[in-house]
Amino acid sequence: MPLYTLEAGQVVEGIKNREFSAEEYISQLLGRIEKVEPKVNAFVTLNKEEGLNRARMLDKKIRDGEQSGPLAGVALSIKDNICTKGMKTTCASKMLESYIPAYDATVIKRLMSAGAIIIGKANLDEFAMGSTTEFSRHGPTRNPWDISRVSGGSSGGSAASVAALECTASLGSDTGGSVRCPASFCSVVGLKPTYGLVSRFGLVSYANSLEQIGPVGRTVSDVVSILNVIAGSDENDHTTINSNKPTYSLQERKGFRAGLVMEFTEGADPGVSKMIYNAADTLEKQGCKCEEVSLPSVQYALASYYTIATAEASSNLARYDNIRYGFDMNPEGYEWNSYFAKARSNFGEEAKRRIIVGSYVLSSGYYGKYYLKAHQVRSLLKHEMETLFKRYDVLIGPTMPILPFKIGERIDDPLKMYLVDIDTVVANLTGMPAISVPAGFADGLPVGLQIMADQFAEQTMLDIAYLFEQAAKVQRSPEL
Amino acid sequence: MVVTREEVKHLGWLAKLEMSDAELQRYTAQIEEIISYLNMLNTIPLEQVKPIAMKKKFSELRKDAPENFEDAVLGTRYRKDGFVKGPRMV
Repeated sequence: MPLYTLEAGQVVEGIKNREFSAEEYISQLLGRIEKVEPKVNAFVTLNKEEGLNRARMLDKKIRDGEQSGPLAGVALSIKDNICTKGMKTTCASKMLESYIPAYDATVIKRLMSAGAIIIGKANLDEFAMGSTTEFSRHGPTRNPWDISRVSGGSSGGSAASVAALECTASLGSDTGGSVRCPASFCSVVGLKPTYGLVSRFGLVSYANSLEQIGPVGRTVSDVVSILNVIAGSDENDHTTINSNKPTYSLQERKGFRAGLVMEFTEGADPGVSKMIYNAADTLEKQGCKCEEVSLPSVQYALASYYTIATAEASSNLARYDNIRYGFDMNPEGYEWNSYFAKARSNFGEEAKRRIIVGSYVLSSGYYGKYYLKAHQVRSLLKHEMETLFKRYDVLIGPTMPILPFKIGERIDDPLKMYLVDIDTVVANLTGMPAISVPAGFADGLPVGLQIMADQFAEQTMLDIAYLFEQAAKVQRSPEL
Repeated sequence: MVVTREEVKHLGWLAKLEMSDAELQRYTAQIEEIISYLNMLNTIPLEQVKPIAMKKKFSELRKDAPENFEDAVLGTRYRKDGFVKGPRMV
């Protein structure tokens, strides 16, 4: 079996026990990337030399009998909106095409000191705005299961690189489903932590009150290993929760109570719903109690989400003036306003649309009509969820209401594109954790089961995800 | 009509985004559709609902001390006398 098919735990053990070296592992992965990348297009930048150097240093450490860390040799692709010192972080945008951060994001620091190796920066929709990775200036990431279809987004490069065996695991960011959507479309596991569990320091901001960095892996176990390293408070992000560093484990537990959200199954394609009902049956056979529940305010979730996300985006993207970093445009001969308007016209189409919509909803006189109302809906949803979590350990449903569609199919209809986020935005609006686990295939295309839990109830969510994974045994990576 | 071409143009000016006529035309139609959808927020009886508020205890903030990032990390090559050069103010 080639080394690039191994799970994180096997990689760490294999390297520690010197069954193979980190250098051999990384070399095999680079070979794999060379072979499949022309089909998938998951990477924006590769970190070949530095990755191999890190691997050699790790091998030396192990030969010398030094501590190697819980993720020793694990090769990660990192979404290209997470700052990596000395390595380009472009957000798939012309506005940051030459940006090389002077610092590492907190999550990167933690992963590196745990022994992980960054193999490259993963493709995304520009500034993480999109659900398909088609809004990247590097072209769309293609779905490894059918390369004529979208990989999902915005962390499409992260999920596709994991499914295509181009890395061990990945980091994405999830503002309205951007980790879970591509995980679902590519048949891998993707987790959005509770708001405040993982530091956002060094994540290029899109909508600060909604987003979290989250791991993507081929198994629940891989996702747990990464979460254990990145979770915990950070003095550089005051929205991280001030508590002891949590540690999650894989536990064989049964007897869960799960609420199947009927608004999610009713709104989904029949093929998707069928797989989710099958998933509920699988859980029942494992001794869980599944009941249909209602979350009536879900009908307002998207309007609330797109109001808040665009409002925060328009404010966050105001900082890109192209003066200190950006692309090459001489300010000589320009007047102040005309320079900025000209430079900023290089934002991609979706980013521009969101800046304008965000500016609209924040306009004088409209604040109470949109932004305040959106926050009231957030509160309403949170209350409904909290009531349900008194009776159920988790809420389940499809991650995406549809199957991965053809590249280009929805790109000219932004509203139609926004509507596919209906099942994922709830977790971002309420700050609650959610995970997408492969549930099976409909018409040969992946379907993800979404499991949501109460704030900071990651352990319960992971227990049920693990239980389901062990029972369902769904294929993770396709032939390429 | 919920959103006019003039409004989109004005918002573009406020947000410092230059748009071609073709872009303006396309965005106006799309933004009209998006804002009409967001108008759903005005149909919800929300009088009794308070906006969401954070109750949790936040992490201590780091000490507000300056850090020295060498200026070599700045992406621009337009400089003068050790300063970064910007467009003319007046």
